[in-house]
Amino acid sequence: MDKCIACGACTAKCPKKVVNEFDGRLSKRKAVYVDYAQAVPLKYAIDDSQCFFLTKGKCKKCETVCPTGAINYDDTAQDLSINVGAVIFSSGCKPYDPSTHDVYGYNSSKNIVTSLEFERILSSSGPFGGHLVRPSDNKEPKKIAWLQCVGSRDVHIGAKGYCSSVCCTYAVKEAMLAKEHAKNGLDAAVFYMDIRTHGKEFEQYYNRAKDEFGVRFVKSKITNIVPTEDGNQLLRYIDESGNLAEEEFDIVVLSVGLEVGQSAIKLADKLGTKLDKYNFVSTSSFSPVSTTKPGVYTCGAIEAPKDIPSSVIEASASAGSAGSALSESRWTLTKTKETPSELDIRGERPRIGVFICCCGTNIAGVVDVPGVVEYVKDLPYVTFSDQGLFSCSQDALNNLAATIEKQKLNRVVVAACTPKTHEPLFQETLGTTGLNKYVFEMVNIRNQCSWVHKDNHELATEKAKDLVRMAVEKVALMGPLKEVELEINQTALVIGGGIAGLQSAKTLSEQGYHAHIIEREERLGGKGLSIHETWMGENVAENVDQLITAVENDDNIEVHKASEIKHVDGFVGNFTTTIQSSDATVDIEHGVTIIASGANELKPDQYLYSEDDRVMTGLELDRKIITGDASIEDTQTVVFIQCVGSRIPERPYCSKVCCTHSIKNALTLKKGKPDMEIYILYRDMRTYGLREDLYREAREKGIKFLRYNFTKGIEVDYDGDDLQVDFTDTVMRRKMSIRPDMLVLATAIIPPQKNPLAQMYKVTLNNDGFFMEAHAKLRPVDCSTDGVFLCGLSHGPKPIDESVSQAIAAATRAVTLLARKTISISGTVAEVNPKDCSECGGCVSICPYSAPSLIEESARFFPGRAQINPALCKGCGLCVASCRSGAIRLHGFDNDQILSQIAAISE
Amino acid sequence: MSDWEPKIIAFLCNSCSYGAADLAGVGRMQYPANIRVIRIPCAGRMSPKFVLSALREGADGVWVSG
Amino acid sequence: MTLEKIGAVMVVGGGITGMQAALDAANTGYYVYLVERSPSIGGLMAQLDKTFPTNDCAM
Repeated sequence: MDKCIACGACTAKCPKKVVNEFDGRLSKRKAVYVDYAQAVPLKYAIDDSQCFFLTKGKCKKCETVCPTGAINYDDTAQDLSINVGAVIFSSGCKPYDPSTHDVYGYNSSKNIVTSLEFERILSSSGPFGGHLVRPSDNKEPKKIAWLQCVGSRDVHIGAKGYCSSVCCTYAVKEAMLAKEHAKNGLDAAVFYMDIRTHGKEFEQYYNRAKDEFGVRFVKSKITNIVPTEDGNQLLRYIDESGNLAEEEFDIVVLSVGLEVGQSAIKLADKLGTKLDKYNFVSTSSFSPVSTTKPGVYTCGAIEAPKDIPSSVIEASASAGSAGSALSESRWTLTKTKETPSELDIRGERPRIGVFICCCGTNIAGVVDVPGVVEYVKDLPYVTFSDQGLFSCSQDALNNLAATIEKQKLNRVVVAACTPKTHEPLFQETLGTTGLNKYVFEMVNIRNQCSWVHKDNHELATEKAKDLVRMAVEKVALMGPLKEVELEINQTALVIGGGIAGLQSAKTLSEQGYHAHIIEREERLGGKGLSIHETWMGENVAENVDQLITAVENDDNIEVHKASEIKHVDGFVGNFTTTIQSSDATVDIEHGVTIIASGANELKPDQYLYSEDDRVMTGLELDRKIITGDASIEDTQTVVFIQCVGSRIPERPYCSKVCCTHSIKNALTLKKGKPDMEIYILYRDMRTYGLREDLYREAREKGIKFLRYNFTKGIEVDYDGDDLQVDFTDTVMRRKMSIRPDMLVLATAIIPPQKNPLAQMYKVTLNNDGFFMEAHAKLRPVDCSTDGVFLCGLSHGPKPIDESVSQAIAAATRAVTLLARKTISISGTVAEVNPKDCSECGGCVSICPYSAPSLIEESARFFPGRAQINPALCKGCGLCVASCRSGAIRLHGFDNDQILSQIAAISE
Repeated sequence: MSDWEPKIIAFLCNSCSYGAADLAGVGRMQYPANIRVIRIPCAGRMSPKFVLSALREGADGVWVSG
Repeated sequence: MTLEKIGAVMVVGGGITGMQAALDAANTGYYVYLVERSPSIGGLMAQLDKTFPTNDCAM
């Protein structure tokens, strides 16, 4: 495996074709293969169940073509024993297989595909190169249908009772992308029971699909699919009013759900963790990543069906929980690289070494590598040039280091693949010789030369020479750059003393760090104090009390109640936050910040709320349940109205928790008084994931769910002394009235109207007023500002278990910084020459990272002139381009360096 | 004139277009060899000076992508 | 005899979740063994074309 250079020669020669699981049923691969071009590790593997040699003892074609001798037919599975302190169980889920209980004709029609197969159809690296075609005949489709809940929310044989949580939004995505792909127009229709776009900003995405892209959403039940003679599928369904309807489509996409695979079930058994009735790993709301087995943690879709951001949040949380358990052994087993002290090359004449990589035949098969090596020898300052078969192999790297020392090189150019993957490797080698890593340039003669000009060896060689010459000119002007080391203050500040804030402070303390909690109110607990039970039935008050007690008795945590933040200074590693309470103003120095400032329940100004005692919000009902209010006993008829203040034009987001919350409370009421009449008026029931079981239970217990016509609205008025709720039912298509003696409004979760924290910590808010993460999928708890992390409701509506995971995740991400103790700032940063600065402030306003500032007027030197904080600078060069005085330079991409490259375009 | 090939200088942003050019290679997409790429950290680093200088040094076209 | 805790973590499964867990565990100071059944890491997410709601490439 170490020898494989991923040239692909073996695959090209392999005679055996097998179905490529990566593309579903849509394409073939060879018996020696790599899953996809960007696979990590990018190493080819032999499928031992398919290989001719391994199954029949004959062939060995790949061995003969492999240029590095990497093929090893004798490689077998080995048993390894590894001692670890904790295990993270993250086996994930697999897509539901519609072929086992084939109700839609998936097995018999090529044009009925699963949603994952459709992803591959859309993918530019997929079986059709990203062209949207019908698999049976490669014709462009005119109409595509998506069928939701295939294998989910279904208690029939083979299917799963839970909601798979991700399929609605991915169907919306696929429909939109398909419309973008189709050159000649496409009709896209999604057939659904409830659209569940409950994730952060997903509802707006759904609205865009409907309103801007014209994707049709049809609430329906599919009865069957009949293939037609011309390859189409006739879809028969019952529409919302109960009428039979049919429509023809070119392609039908089955939005398959997620399920736990057999191998994961076996693995769980080996690990000794308990699984629930659907085979998901059992957890609880207040320990959402801990399994029933101590020391084994879990995350992602093996715990419950969930989307990528939630999975990534849990991933960080599980790493953190494992870290909490092992904190006394931190850094005991990790390995550190030793580097020699840096050579001083200042004032030396450049001695440039140029190393040209053949990359087997990848480069040398097209570019005349010896010719380039010869050509380079005559370029200015070049004292050494050579070629290597694989410059990135360990022996070549050793040779590079030895040559640098022997030839006393002080600048290095490597012409090989792309710097995006290999620059760090060569820079590290430079470091081992004592050379500064910035006296280095990499030339991309594989990805951007030999691979893309393989039919024109002459021009490719000429291009390679030009590119190397340009790099030689540049590197001659490169000098050592300093990477500033900054100490990270080992204290954390947590803003907000609700469940999320408490949990993240507790996690930080468990990991051995000191934390401050700032809470505006007189008491800790936040919204957790007003909630009766979680959806799993855990008592919230008891758990929150335990959390508060743990935090208040923790010597590592300092709690500041009734305190507000007045001022913030500094940046990652060195923040100073000034807080004020009624009697004092305190400066807190801290290295990282966790924002857990929460959100509120909307108090509506409609439906007679605040005018009539019988009308209340969801949390006000919780209060009545918690206190055992006598009025509940006298209540005979209850109406819940969903989406009050959510999913409306001025507040387009879904508040995520209200559907489950209303059902939970309805079930509690029903349990206390089984003859109570309960109606839930809804738009889409969003009991996502395993919460679907609650929805089913509620229907079984006789709670009535009525879908109201949102555009026609709901009226609440008096009929005499009675409350009367009027609405239009979408099934019956007629007006209905209910006279409840309790009306519960499932109101939106709203962020604070003004949020000074955003300005203070330089973090952004989204259009809805929630804090924005650095990346919606991959960095869901980090802010774009380094050293600031997010969790809980301030990031977006979410239930308690997700808040707790995110809180542990935020603390963990903070620890990844704290544990390093120092951060080194990249040398590629901008610097101002204050003598040339005209004080225009252009750089200050243009920088997306707030790195430039103007020196204080009271300063002794250069008052009013610009300065750039290297700790904040990301090296984009925007300020350099915008500086009208030419006072700013970007180290590593200086004007003279880039101009020297330009000057070298022609010989 | 029919043999004439322009020389094009491309300034590619390291965080997007440069990676895209790498992927074009991974996909073995073929294109004419008369382009010379200069990697810049971000298209924001681009300066009119570079365009003028490239044209002066003999480039027939300048492509900035980010 | 007191048993010292082993400062290493095993992550079972190399999809997006396993990779993130491995990175975070390593960056908080633990030696990580990432165990994956198939020849490459990436899991289900690598098979997706794009991701919502930003339509970023899933790769």
